[in-house]
Amino acid sequence: MSNQQTRVALVIGAGSVKCAAAIGLQKVLQREGIEIGMVVGASGGSLYAALIAMGASPEQAAAQSAHLWTRGVTAKRNGRALWQILLPNVFGFDASFGTVDDTILMQQLRAVYGDAKIEDAKIPLYLTATDFENGAQVVLTQGSLVDALRGSLAMPYIFQAHRVDGRLLVDGYLTDPMPVGVAIKENANVILAMGFESPYQGTINALLRYTFQISSIMSNNLLRANYAFHALVHHGEVLPILPQFEQRIGAFDTDKIPYIVQAGERAAEQQLPYLKKLLAGS
Amino acid sequence: MELKTETRGNTLVLTISGSLDALTAPELSDALSTQLRDGNTNLVADLSQLEYTSSAGLRVMLNGVKEARQKGGDLRLAAIQPNVKKVLDLSGFMSIMKAFPDVDGAVASFA
Repeated sequence: MSNQQTRVALVIGAGSVKCAAAIGLQKVLQREGIEIGMVVGASGGSLYAALIAMGASPEQAAAQSAHLWTRGVTAKRNGRALWQILLPNVFGFDASFGTVDDTILMQQLRAVYGDAKIEDAKIPLYLTATDFENGAQVVLTQGSLVDALRGSLAMPYIFQAHRVDGRLLVDGYLTDPMPVGVAIKENANVILAMGFESPYQGTINALLRYTFQISSIMSNNLLRANYAFHALVHHGEVLPILPQFEQRIGAFDTDKIPYIVQAGERAAEQQLPYLKKLLAGS
Repeated sequence: MELKTETRGNTLVLTISGSLDALTAPELSDALSTQLRDGNTNLVADLSQLEYTSSAGLRVMLNGVKEARQKGGDLRLAAIQPNVKKVLDLSGFMSIMKAFPDVDGAVASFA
């Protein structure tokens, strides 16, 4: 596999703040002078895919993401949601359901990306979401970066689905928590696939926790099934980069980003000797 | 990657060491094809010294197990190390292949 033929893709799967581990991978690739040919992101991975593709350094990516994805983005509740659950016939229940008002999230995204478009990215960028109406994977490659991220991040039950170009989008993890298939379709030879299993709930003491547990079971099985299929059908190499975390990491634990980045670096270092041999074609 | 073979009763044990990846997988593929062609269809892959497998390695293992089963035998795994187990778990291989803690157990399973 010679350098001229090789196109390296970085795929960052869903995993909320754990996706910051991609910054560790980015650091290792930069240090080694390994060029990334495309970046693919789903859900939380989209945030980091966008930062890397738009040209943020690892330090900038860590700092910006710590401001982007804070617990504050869920601080403003959607007061109508509870009434929609309790009295759907009175308050109306439809596809726009979500327990959190997305005003703060949109403000944070606009503060970082403003009017940037996906096609402005320095590295080709592919963000995935899911069409709420038919369940199809939607790969966003042009248009408003903020809208694409908002669609890719539309966690069911939490955020409302987001309409982009006439399609109602929900979180990309619902179709593929680690969208390696996008990189295969775009002809990447070497795919660095960073993925995360969804955590299981320690205690089930509320409806939302029960719902998250079901969601984790389904998404983890979807992750494995899709990875198996893609690893077996790809003509080149899919290198799984699987950071290991000794501590439990909550969805908004941005204070743990330095620790998460280190875990990403360690996982990348493990694959590095083979990656270098592969790219050298030895 | 280093590959050693040993016949134990009606079973052939392949000890695979090092890294099973795009650069080394063809060697295992050739070895499996030769053994299966020669009628050795009860195969145990001793993975106690396998440190790494990539998607190319998975593809060779899948072809091996499919061909062995088509010929009435099987390819079974033994002594999988944690790094390799992670990849086998993620890729669903543990749901389709029989795995044993050690080679003796894997060989005995063919008795």
